Amino acid sequence: MPRIEDLTEIQRQTVLNFPCFEYEDAPFVRLGKPFRQIRLALVTTAGVHLRGDKTFTAGDQSYRLIPSNASARDIIQSHNSIGFDRTAVYRDLNVSFPMDRLKELVERGIIGSTTASYYSFMGAQTNPKRILEETGPEAARLLLDEGADAAILTPT
Amino acid sequence: MLARAFEAAGLPTTSLVLLKDHAQRTKPPRALFVPFPYGFALGKPNDPEFQHRVLSTALELLNAAAGPVLAEFPEDADAPVRLLQSSMVQNINNEGDPANELTAMRRYYLQWVEQHSGRTAVGNSGIPSRRFRGLVRYLQAYVAGTPYDYQEKPAEVSQIQFMRQAADDLKAFMLEARMQQRPNHRDNELQEWFWEETAVGLLLTRLAERLKHDGEERAAFGIAR
Repeated sequence: MPRIEDLTEIQRQTVLNFPCFEYEDAPFVRLGKPFRQIRLALVTTAGVHLRGDKTFTAGDQSYRLIPSNASARDIIQSHNSIGFDRTAVYRDLNVSFPMDRLKELVERGIIGSTTASYYSFMGAQTNPKRILEETGPEAARLLLDEGADAAILTPT
Repeated sequence: MLARAFEAAGLPTTSLVLLKDHAQRTKPPRALFVPFPYGFALGKPNDPEFQHRVLSTALELLNAAAGPVLAEFPEDADAPVRLLQSSMVQNINNEGDPANELTAMRRYYLQWVEQHSGRTAVGNSGIPSRRFRGLVRYLQAYVAGTPYDYQEKPAEVSQIQFMRQAADDLKAFMLEARMQQRPNHRDNELQEWFWEETAVGLLLTRLAERLKHDGEERAAFGIAR
């Protein structure tokens, strides 16, 4: 991550003013199984989705479902942020949304399986109330319904 | 934030985070701070083993007995840290027609897509790349403040949103074509080329200026980077 001093002024102000909800408590659920038995979900705030699905617009706190067997050419990134280097994702979707890597973890026997559905949100939200209270918990429940034992979350 | 919501719903999570200070305050249940820029969460594109090291380190945190846990990934990825923006450079292309430039780059773009098994980042605007000449005319008309009846803009998207998506698509087209044309580039070389030398880059710079003039600062900023 760029150090604060490496960012441009507008980025600095955005990051410094970013609402940082400070919490006293920290919910924590222990993993109940050995790794090689878990079903893992991939969730991201990188603002990716299936081509043709509704694009993310400013302040959009809904999620998009991406089938875990989708291919990279079916996925685009419509993240609405003020700007970051997208050329890494142009070259390799896995750098933000490691679908292929999760497939390999299953092939290598490191995890048991992945969920059939992955979920994408859009990050860099100044007031993520709906994500915290509605769409986030909803996605979690959908994943639990699919038998997810854990989720790995990737940022933009 | 999302990690907390998931964990509170009963699903154990581990997260990659790009902002260490932020993570220290928001306390996600398990987080691996990675020293990479936005857009490089797994560190190195097309380096599966590096990405696997990042993933494994994050997944290891699922074994923790209690949280919150914040670890730091020890390897660097040599990713470019500072994103060049259009205001940092001077565009020298005063004469070029962006539509002709797109046509000239098209064969590289098509080669890129073929070499990536049909994958391209172009697609946000919904306008197919073969129709980009019309899209350019639409943006030029906005810059000039002249009316232009653009039939292809989807009705459900606002004009500003559509122009952001159009800018994303034009950038993706040009940069993918350039990466095909010149595969070995150093930090920022792509962005320097785009903003300094191309007619499409100049069009987007002018579009951003016009948007800023019209009070659309965020859209302007997003388009010019």
